[in-house]
Amino acid sequence: MDEDVLTTLKILIIGESGVGKSSLLLRFTDDTFDPELAATIGVDFKVKTISVDGNKAKLAIWDTAGQERFRTLTPSYYRGAQGVILVYDVTRRDTFVKLDNWLNELETYCTRNDIVKMLVGNKIDKENREVDRNEGLKFARKHSMLFIEASAKTCDGVQCAFEELVEKIIQTPGLWESESQNRGVKLSNKEEGYGGGACGGYCSML
Amino acid sequence: MAAEEKWNSWAWKEHSAADQAGDKDSCMLLGQQLGEPGRFAYAALCGISLAWLFPEKEQSSFRMEFIEGLVKWLDLPDAVLPAMTAFASGLGGEGTETFAQILLKDPMLKDNPIVITQDLVSFSLKDGYYDARARVLICHITWLLRIPLEELEALEESLLESLKEQKEEESETAEVSRKKKERRKKLKRYLLIGLATVGGGTVIGLTGGLAAPLVAAGAATIIGSAGAAALGSTAGIAVMASLFGAAGAGLTGYKMKKRVGAIEEFEFLPLTEGKQLHITIAITGWLCTGRYGSFTAPWSSMLQSSEQYCLAWESKYLMELGNALDSLLNGFVNMMAQEALKFTVLSGIVTALTWPASLLTAASVIDNPWGVCLHRSAEVGKHLAHLLLSRQQGKRPVTLIGFSLGARVIYFCLQEMAQEKDSQGIIEDAVLLGAPVEGEAKHWKALTKVVSGRIINGYCRGDWLLGFVYRTSSVQLNVAGLQPVNLDDRRMVNVDLSSVVSGHLDYMKQMDTILKAVGIKTKECRLEEKGSASLFSPPAKKTQQAAGSEARRDEDAAGGGRWSWDPVDSPDTLDASRDGGRPCPGEPFPAGLAQGLDSAGCSLGETSRPCPGSPNSEDGGKHAAGTGTETD
Repeated sequence: MDEDVLTTLKILIIGESGVGKSSLLLRFTDDTFDPELAATIGVDFKVKTISVDGNKAKLAIWDTAGQERFRTLTPSYYRGAQGVILVYDVTRRDTFVKLDNWLNELETYCTRNDIVKMLVGNKIDKENREVDRNEGLKFARKHSMLFIEASAKTCDGVQCAFEELVEKIIQTPGLWESESQNRGVKLSNKEEGYGGGACGGYCSML
Repeated sequence: MAAEEKWNSWAWKEHSAADQAGDKDSCMLLGQQLGEPGRFAYAALCGISLAWLFPEKEQSSFRMEFIEGLVKWLDLPDAVLPAMTAFASGLGGEGTETFAQILLKDPMLKDNPIVITQDLVSFSLKDGYYDARARVLICHITWLLRIPLEELEALEESLLESLKEQKEEESETAEVSRKKKERRKKLKRYLLIGLATVGGGTVIGLTGGLAAPLVAAGAATIIGSAGAAALGSTAGIAVMASLFGAAGAGLTGYKMKKRVGAIEEFEFLPLTEGKQLHITIAITGWLCTGRYGSFTAPWSSMLQSSEQYCLAWESKYLMELGNALDSLLNGFVNMMAQEALKFTVLSGIVTALTWPASLLTAASVIDNPWGVCLHRSAEVGKHLAHLLLSRQQGKRPVTLIGFSLGARVIYFCLQEMAQEKDSQGIIEDAVLLGAPVEGEAKHWKALTKVVSGRIINGYCRGDWLLGFVYRTSSVQLNVAGLQPVNLDDRRMVNVDLSSVVSGHLDYMKQMDTILKAVGIKTKECRLEEKGSASLFSPPAKKTQQAAGSEARRDEDAAGGGRWSWDPVDSPDTLDASRDGGRPCPGEPFPAGLAQGLDSAGCSLGETSRPCPGSPNSEDGGKHAAGTGTETD
């Protein structure tokens, strides 16, 4: 049905409970916002086709549950993901501190080391900010991630976050090419060391 | 209630960890006791497995219905549906192992993962309809959770037993009404058989000797309060009854009232006494005078299901054919020529083969009965197809197994079913041995539509007789019974029987060995099992797919003296050329006993179990790597 789609990309959203992962996704796919969104159970899944630089890409987005009790389930989604969005809440420092844990988990379960990572500081519409923008930027740079601050409520930076991520993935051909042929099992990872170069690509919008 | 207790005690007896508190829990619905992450993992595992087992487009409605039903059954919020649907449509298939691990680590399931299987069976039966696809899924999940398949069988059996017990209890107290019922039963029987074909779901009939309301009452105690709500309703009673076929008559009640087409004889003979939630129908290829004079003779050792039938068809012609085959081998063609023929066929140049003159003079003896039977088998197959489609056997999975012309009956039955609507989910496995049918993969493609589990093609390269009798029917000698069918589907399993079968007649005489080779359970296996139980911790590990490991087990345990071929060669005898058909989602099981499962599998001790679906995966793989004679 979608012949003109260049590729299907698997995107994963992770982060602590209540940072607004589902809200970001909901804003991105349906352009709505629900302040009373219920906690995700297990994982949520949404598909959206976006166009980046004239290339259409179908995004299969897995929105994981942040709650501790569902934590055991998360490892199963990492496999085969080409992009990951790490979300923290700028009004809650603990969610920022815990990012290290999430990066560790990503390292452990991710099947490829050239996965494109995007750090998103959410809820910038709120007054009581606890994490400075520069802190986030520094952290992202240190771990060679893309970085953006966003607000699912005001729609700030949401679209951009996904677009930047997809753009970066498409610029990394080894990441998505021939993906359709060998689902899952891929032992060799040729594009090694690409992650180092990704550092310069962070976008500092807003 | 006795039934309830039995159920509980069964569920726990395998596991020493049984405690009294747990006993009470196990009759509760799983959805009420398993935590949300556990239920999510359970549903996700089913979704992913569904997508893997039935990726075809035409199966998508089944996949979605199943997963949606399961989400409701498990009390999961609707919010998980998008993710579940994604799983069931083939996305996120990488997570199988993680989900299985989560379930196995769940405190509630750790010592007792069988409750998942138990819950799945209850779920699948709740509509009074046991879909073959559901059973294949249950087998797959059971395997993923490292549970021996026997436990599933035992579970199904005990479910039935409890139903029967329930009935007996009741009948003592209500004997008078039962007698009345029985009188009515006789009157209504014919009517009901007819009704059942129209709409099995609406028939309030009697199951195989069990009164329907009692069945539902029994089921209620087993399946648990919430499940019983579905089963206890009037509709539930009716569908529960429909599970077992029209008005208790089932297949044995089926008699051809008049000649159908060219068929003169078509009848089911019971091979076993028992009742089971799935049945096996065996189809004999020809009859001989003497020991193999009856349809049931070759199947004496088969124990695939505790409810087995044998199809009796056209005995007059099959007897004629058998005698012709006999005289051909014993009189007309001398041993030298036979050996020569065997090797000519083996060498694969049969297309250009000039048949020896001595054989051609004998041709008239065989060609006529063969031709007649060839035609009739196709007719019988079509008739069988319509019979199965009308659910005379009840709404439960059917496994078909046949050799020679019996395999041809199955082939035509499946082909006919493939053309009909609603033909999915009836056939579980189909086993065709030495089948005189075309061996082109494209013709076999249609079969995958109706078969949920596996299509096993047992062939023998040196079967010159099959090559000879089939020579007139086919210009190119591309016969399934002589070569593997190169169909790229997880269902297709080719088993090279060349070293078990030395000639076409062996299909009848060596049936016991052949059944083991293709991974069908036999009675002898069960007995042997007890002997070697010390080595292989839990007994009754004979999965229907375990033939490959079985040969191995023999080597290890007893030196394999029981086998008619040299056990050292056993990897060569079994060529699951589709061994990649059902890849092991976990670590591939290495051969022999040195397998290390990092999970509960170890504690269950099911070390020598190959992947479900590819009976001889390890052997096949080894073989392919070792000799490389088979290409597919």
